[in-house]
Amino acid sequence: MLSALEVEALRLSLQVALVAVTCSLPLAVGVAWLLARCEFPGKTLLDALVHLPLVLPPVVIGYFLLLTFGTQGPIGGWLHETLGVRLIFTRWGAALAAAVMSFPLVVRAIRLALEAVDSGLESAARTLGASRLDVFLTVTLPLMLPGIVAGCIVAFAAALGDFGATITFVGNVQGETQTLSLAIYSLTQTPDGDAAALRLVLISLVLAVGALYASELAARRVRRYVGRA
Amino acid sequence: MQRSTFLRYLAAACVLPLGARPALASDEVTVFAAASLQTALEAIARLYRERSGRGVRFSFAASSALARQIEHGAPAAVFASADEQWMDHLQARGLIVPATRTSLLGNRLVLVVPAARAASVDLRPGFDLAAVLGTDGRWVTGDPAAVPAGRYAQQALSALGVWPFAQTRLVRAENVRVALALVERGEAAAGIVYATDARASTRVRVAGVFPADSHAPISYPFAVVARHDSAAARDFLRFVGGDEARQIWRGHGFSVR
Repeated sequence: MLSALEVEALRLSLQVALVAVTCSLPLAVGVAWLLARCEFPGKTLLDALVHLPLVLPPVVIGYFLLLTFGTQGPIGGWLHETLGVRLIFTRWGAALAAAVMSFPLVVRAIRLALEAVDSGLESAARTLGASRLDVFLTVTLPLMLPGIVAGCIVAFAAALGDFGATITFVGNVQGETQTLSLAIYSLTQTPDGDAAALRLVLISLVLAVGALYASELAARRVRRYVGRA
Repeated sequence: MQRSTFLRYLAAACVLPLGARPALASDEVTVFAAASLQTALEAIARLYRERSGRGVRFSFAASSALARQIEHGAPAAVFASADEQWMDHLQARGLIVPATRTSLLGNRLVLVVPAARAASVDLRPGFDLAAVLGTDGRWVTGDPAAVPAGRYAQQALSALGVWPFAQTRLVRAENVRVALALVERGEAAAGIVYATDARASTRVRVAGVFPADSHAPISYPFAVVARHDSAAARDFLRFVGGDEARQIWRGHGFSVR
């Protein structure tokens, strides 16, 4: 039914998207907290920076990653010389590209979830003697969770579908960076690749629709929580 | 403002563009050409504009991408491919004018490395590609599944017996110029491109030239696309094969038949 190449592309896509979303999660929670609960000079700038991947052409993001994280770039060069780690042409680089592209979506979802939490509940917990960290872990976070989950699923779908940033930064390496989008692109250039390309398109469609549906289910739970609180 | 004034302005706005005429003849020729032809063809087009007053619009990409676009109706008048196969692909579908098909140019295939890591390799059967790449280095060329440069590269490496190993270190680029850029940048340890591409770049060095018999002869067929056949298109094609153009081709390193 599916050739080895297609199965590999599917497996790689899922792996890259999963790594991208889970690794960007802690940072996203921190940034969302800053944007939702704090006031500081440069807040608008941070907000704009976070949302850049949503508005810039993906190829620009990929090019910037190439210049910074490629083995000849400032960060990538240091990683390569000191730690022997290379991001370009590897699945970790692909995960980085996908993470950068889906970061704004995760931050937005977490920020919305945070803003939906009734701060009255947090104040009540404080008056009862809980420390700030305790309040965050036992009151805020559980109430945020459905919103975080919904946002992560959308970000996962977005990371799955990234093309421009991935192909510009990590290139097209079968088994390492050839995710579903890159595989479809390659197949559309091949003389008789139409049938295989269509199969992969259908798989992508199923994955995307499935993710959006799951995200909608999680979002409904948030609405019920907020209604109850 | 009053309705009549507004309508007058609107009418004027609609009529004005009709008076504007482009300085050149309006029968501009749209040419889809293989990426490796870019520098030379642009020079030829500049000369053509001086001689005939006609402008030429280009789209440079991998021959595979262009052929597929023409297949789907892209408005190209002339197509120049980097191998015969993609031209055959279009001819089999009746998309080009067979009488206009000419294979004018030849090229050589070379192994390049970033200029900072200049090396020299004797490209004979069983040569040590691993030594050129290092422990985790990768090499890059156009996607061998479709891009002509990649196809020639696969043929050459297979003929020299190193393809199974080479395949594990391959980065597939969209076209040969993207592959060249990756080597120029020093991200890829090596690349396989055309001799003319290496010549056009100052940031790569040729490490070795593949024996001409290790791959199919590199040939660039040109043809007029049937759907957009015109006197202008045929005229440009004729110019591309003329004496003045031949000088430019040779100047860029192509062999001319």
